[in-house]
Amino acid sequence: MLKPFLRKWPFLFKFRLLLGLVLFILILSFLYLKVVPFGNITYSRDYVFGLRSGKGFIYGFTPAERVDLKSGDGPRMIGDPIYFSLFTPRTFDKAKLTITYRDNLGLDTPVIEAGVLADNIVWRYELKPIDNKALDYLMLRWHKSESNGYLFLQRNENYSNPAEWEKDLAQGRLKDCADGLEKCLVVYNFSPEYNYQITNYQPALPLVLDKPLRGAHQFYVYLKDETLRLEFSLVDLNQDLKPAPIDIILSSGNKIITSQTLADANLQPGSGKIEEKRVVLEQKKLPAGVYKVEVKITSDMVIKKIISSVDRLSFINKVWPISNEGPLTLYTDANYLQVKALNPASLQTLKFAGRDFGLTEAYKQFDFKTDSVAKNKEIKLAKDDVILENNGVFAWSPSSLFNPTLPKVDRFFSVNNQFDYIIADYKKPSEEEGIKTASAELNLKGAYRENGKYSFIISVPGLKTDDGTNDNLEIYKIKIELEGRTLWQKIWQ
Amino acid sequence: MAKNLAIISRELFYFSSVLLLAFIILEIIWPNIILSYFNLNYLWVFAVLTGFICLIKK
Repeated sequence: MLKPFLRKWPFLFKFRLLLGLVLFILILSFLYLKVVPFGNITYSRDYVFGLRSGKGFIYGFTPAERVDLKSGDGPRMIGDPIYFSLFTPRTFDKAKLTITYRDNLGLDTPVIEAGVLADNIVWRYELKPIDNKALDYLMLRWHKSESNGYLFLQRNENYSNPAEWEKDLAQGRLKDCADGLEKCLVVYNFSPEYNYQITNYQPALPLVLDKPLRGAHQFYVYLKDETLRLEFSLVDLNQDLKPAPIDIILSSGNKIITSQTLADANLQPGSGKIEEKRVVLEQKKLPAGVYKVEVKITSDMVIKKIISSVDRLSFINKVWPISNEGPLTLYTDANYLQVKALNPASLQTLKFAGRDFGLTEAYKQFDFKTDSVAKNKEIKLAKDDVILENNGVFAWSPSSLFNPTLPKVDRFFSVNNQFDYIIADYKKPSEEEGIKTASAELNLKGAYRENGKYSFIISVPGLKTDDGTNDNLEIYKIKIELEGRTLWQKIWQ
Repeated sequence: MAKNLAIISRELFYFSSVLLLAFIILEIIWPNIILSYFNLNYLWVFAVLTGFICLIKK
């Protein structure tokens, strides 16, 4: 019926119809890929067999000096961290990042993590585990159980099932753990509901911190049924062209209690003229416990002074003192210190837990370790304007120093440590002929996206380009499965 | 045969030119929507090639 009808059509008409149809289908396909109406799409990049016509969605690794593109089958990560960006035609809520790699790393770099840029002001990446050799080792030797996606490891089989263990943990006590949870429990990618208390706590005294600190900082405060008043004097250096907003957040656990935001009109960008600002955060009748304060500012700002109503105040993981004055003493609870000087004038020999360490090169990160068993380790700086980092806390006096977090299975964790329990949100990578594949689930809601690109990080803490070893992480494939709202949800919800 | 080739090359030239134009417009509206998947240089070369054949056959 149709055949004789079609036969009547001239060749040119049929050919044009065919090409028109192809054109229509092609344009429609690209529009479909732009909209992703069902909310799910996967982008991948194969670094070994990849053949592609377009630019692709997963862009190359940066910075170039931390990636060796010549020696291996795939790019080799030789310095920590490396970044790559993912172009997406629309926003998504979740990403499952799968990395296929060969682990040519040494024992001093047991952790591989990956994440997405969550906050571009303080440059914070939300990191998730990819590989943790300490956990992989203990999973084979300790008593292992899994529940609700969590991994429970115990040195001795004190608990026969995880439910019993979770019940005890919720009450803040575990079997054979008389000295407190922090002495026997280690965590990884997991924050248990744990109510930290300071024994023999005396009511707080006011504290004035007049040692200027550059850039974003976070600190813990501890109080007991008291009013918390924090007065911040801040300075915008106006050395760069970007606006310098101030965001100060008070939280407890994962709950935000209050926050203060001060926008920046950016009237004098790049002028070098300083602008003084003041923010007060006050919260009355706070119940006993630990509170976290996040001062989210750019590194073009300085926290000149903090007047606090409580004296138990410890900075989390990082401080960047910048008074440009004489010697400075501060304290930390960790056994290692990462130090970086961005100014050649800050190069010096510093004292950490009584030992001298040389900070001999600018822009290079130095790792200083101590075997000291003292609870608080003293850091004596001849000059400041150096960035001090570790996995512990910092304070200006030993009486202020406290660390409410549980020890972590990080790169400094030793499997010989005297801990009895480990809780981790972690899955061991699968391995075939030395090639490992691991995945991390990342939250993209609120993740920073610029020009349609999300920024990702791959981190191997401790991996250095200039340490004289051939340690590297050879990456073969990256796959990102994205999940977001469907077109119908976008229209109707 | 030569006549058919001329017609086909002409039609393919029109098709690739319209497609190239459509892709460029889509790229201007939503950057990277096409370039992430496909390098437009290939289409441009195809359009030039068919256009050239079309000219010769004319």
